[in-house]
Amino acid sequence: MKKISEIPGKNPFKIPVNYFEEVNRKIISATTGINGESKKISPYHRLRPYLAIAASVAVLIVAVYFAVRLLSPVKTSTSVSELLNSDYSESYFNDIDIRSLEESAASVDLYDEMPDVSNKEIIDYLLLDDIEISDIYDHL
Amino acid sequence: MVEKYSSRLYWHIRRLVILHEDADDALQNTFINAWRSIGRFRSESSLYTWLYTIATNEALALINKRKKNAAVSLDDVGDIFASSHEGSTWFDGDEAQVKLQNAILKLPEKQRIVFNLKYFDEMTYEEMSGVLKTSEGALKASYHHAVKKIEKMLGGD
Repeated sequence: MKKISEIPGKNPFKIPVNYFEEVNRKIISATTGINGESKKISPYHRLRPYLAIAASVAVLIVAVYFAVRLLSPVKTSTSVSELLNSDYSESYFNDIDIRSLEESAASVDLYDEMPDVSNKEIIDYLLLDDIEISDIYDHL
Repeated sequence: MVEKYSSRLYWHIRRLVILHEDADDALQNTFINAWRSIGRFRSESSLYTWLYTIATNEALALINKRKKNAAVSLDDVGDIFASSHEGSTWFDGDEAQVKLQNAILKLPEKQRIVFNLKYFDEMTYEEMSGVLKTSEGALKASYHHAVKKIEKMLGGD
């Protein structure tokens, strides 16, 4: 059996003169007008990181909202007494200006509103209802 | 890239397809396809092995195309030259060289590629593994079987 190492390693193939210069020029010329394929990324894949962040923030907000709702005490009804004792009622009365009330009251002359009736007319009116005259004088 | 790799890729293709015309076509297609699909090139594999993979695929596609249309045997250098326009213009091997080429042509496709890459291109098994996507162990076994077969064929003449 003949050993492969006994075969001389000479290249038996030939090529035309200046072949590589020619073919290199042809290849460069052929690839000049071709755009190399770039990796096309769909809009979904481009926006996916941002969508993930937005979704995480939304979930966090909803979780915090429900956590606050569950942990904080909830008033189911409010009585009138609670309302009166509440800060609102106190502040309402506290907000009344007493001085302005007194001034308003002082400006009203109650006697001007009363009809002009004498004591005798009053006594006569009361006698019609069978009231003792001594009782009337006791009250005068 | 073209100037750096065209010579090595040409000889790799030429040993597989034998004819200069075919090697010339396959070499140009290799660079055009590489340029078109440069976006798919992964930097973890070297440009050298990536180009070798494309060149090997181009050569095999051409061989398969020729097999379908060939009226003569494609495992004999003389027959191949006889079936082409160029004839043996671009071949000047002596008798021993012709015998070696005929023995290589009779190998199964995979063993033939492995033998050429190791014997002529002196490629390491690691690089070859990157080109052919095959384990180094399987490549060593392929080369061993290829050498044994060739020696047997050469000894039988």
